[in-house]
Amino acid sequence: MPPPSDTSRPRFSAGCRWGTQGENRVVLFPEGMIRVQGTGLNILELCNGQRTVKQIIVELAQTFSTADPEKIRKDVLSFLEVLQAKRVVDYE
Amino acid sequence: MSKAYKPLALIAEITHRCPLHCVYCSNPLQMISAKEELGTQGWIRVFEEAARLGILHLHLTGGEPAARPDLMELIQAAHAAGLYINLITSGIGLPEKRLAELVGAGLDHVQLSIQDAEEEAANWISGSKAHAHKIGFAQSVRGMKVAFTVNLVVHRKNLDHIEEMISFAQELAPNRLEIAHTQYYGWALKNRAQLMPTHAQVEHCMSVVGEARERLSGKMRIDCVVPDYYARYPKACMGGWGQRLILIDPSGRALPCHAAGVIPDLKFDNVRDRSLDWIWTESSAFQHFRGEAWMEEPCRSCERRDEDFGGCRCQAFLIAGDANATDPACSLSPQHQLITAQRIENTTMNRAADIPWSYRPNPE
Repeated sequence: MPPPSDTSRPRFSAGCRWGTQGENRVVLFPEGMIRVQGTGLNILELCNGQRTVKQIIVELAQTFSTADPEKIRKDVLSFLEVLQAKRVVDYE
Repeated sequence: MSKAYKPLALIAEITHRCPLHCVYCSNPLQMISAKEELGTQGWIRVFEEAARLGILHLHLTGGEPAARPDLMELIQAAHAAGLYINLITSGIGLPEKRLAELVGAGLDHVQLSIQDAEEEAANWISGSKAHAHKIGFAQSVRGMKVAFTVNLVVHRKNLDHIEEMISFAQELAPNRLEIAHTQYYGWALKNRAQLMPTHAQVEHCMSVVGEARERLSGKMRIDCVVPDYYARYPKACMGGWGQRLILIDPSGRALPCHAAGVIPDLKFDNVRDRSLDWIWTESSAFQHFRGEAWMEEPCRSCERRDEDFGGCRCQAFLIAGDANATDPACSLSPQHQLITAQRIENTTMNRAADIPWSYRPNPE
């Protein structure tokens, strides 16, 4: 599967969904789970299959207005790539 | 001390009743009858206690879980408790309408087992006429909002068709394919002489799976592990005894491993008498092989002891006659020859080929 482009619309892969473990939000999937926190959580919460990668970056740049937009872009793309490799995320 | 371990998954064997009679079934030889099964409210209480203990995944298995008329209620309750629900099924007893209701009630993932690519061969292994039905079942799953895994259970009698089996699985279009080498417990151990693959079959399988992984990358995930009779080190059975998993058998007995019932002198508490929390922290069976204190050499000083936990306690007992011993599947075990003696090189391929096997019967 190719890496995401600006117009890709990331979403949970089949069988992945949010869950909670104590106070923490986790992503559950058939063979296990991952804990998501910090920036990753902010990114993943926006991945609903509707927003494009570009829109996600814009929204995060508005929320974190003091952060370098180029760094946000890099963070989003590398995070999505990791989750894609774990098959937690795919694209609409 | 035991508080340090948190259970992550609950395996609920909700019934031993099953319309299939697979010769590789890992259910115990002594199965539990319908009248001994834990009732609906009993299971619901267990699911709620599991969620409170921090358990995330529930694996509903059997037998055939759909043989329970209350499956819908069980799934509703487990979903309400927040558990991620995996249903391990043959698809028998789940016509499209019932399956849709289960998905609507919160079922997250369906796992369907396949015995072979061709109908006749598949039905021979399952001792039933399930194969054609499974194809129909897979078609209905695909149209629903639920994750889908196909599980190919492999052994000597079907490994020569591994390419065909993978192609067949692809036609069923799951999100994920699991290739599960038969593990020798219960009925599979009874039929081990007929099921044990040859060394050449295992090697061929690993290379076919490697190619399929590349070819299908991004389309279908493939999981497969080397069968432990042919591996160098044992499997990390259950992620360590009493460290991650709780199995509840149909009568409500809590076990640290599917086969743990074979180990003599262990006392298994029942969820009818005790809470899951108590069982996890206090019961003697869960504490018995937890951690490293029980280990003998070579495990005790082994670098891998916190990776594979000495392998499987049940296998150590079943094969080496001592549940405290290193799993003989480990190449470092002094009793490893008990495992290597079971391996079949090509020259001995016909060994036991004609001995009839034992189909797993249905409990009363």
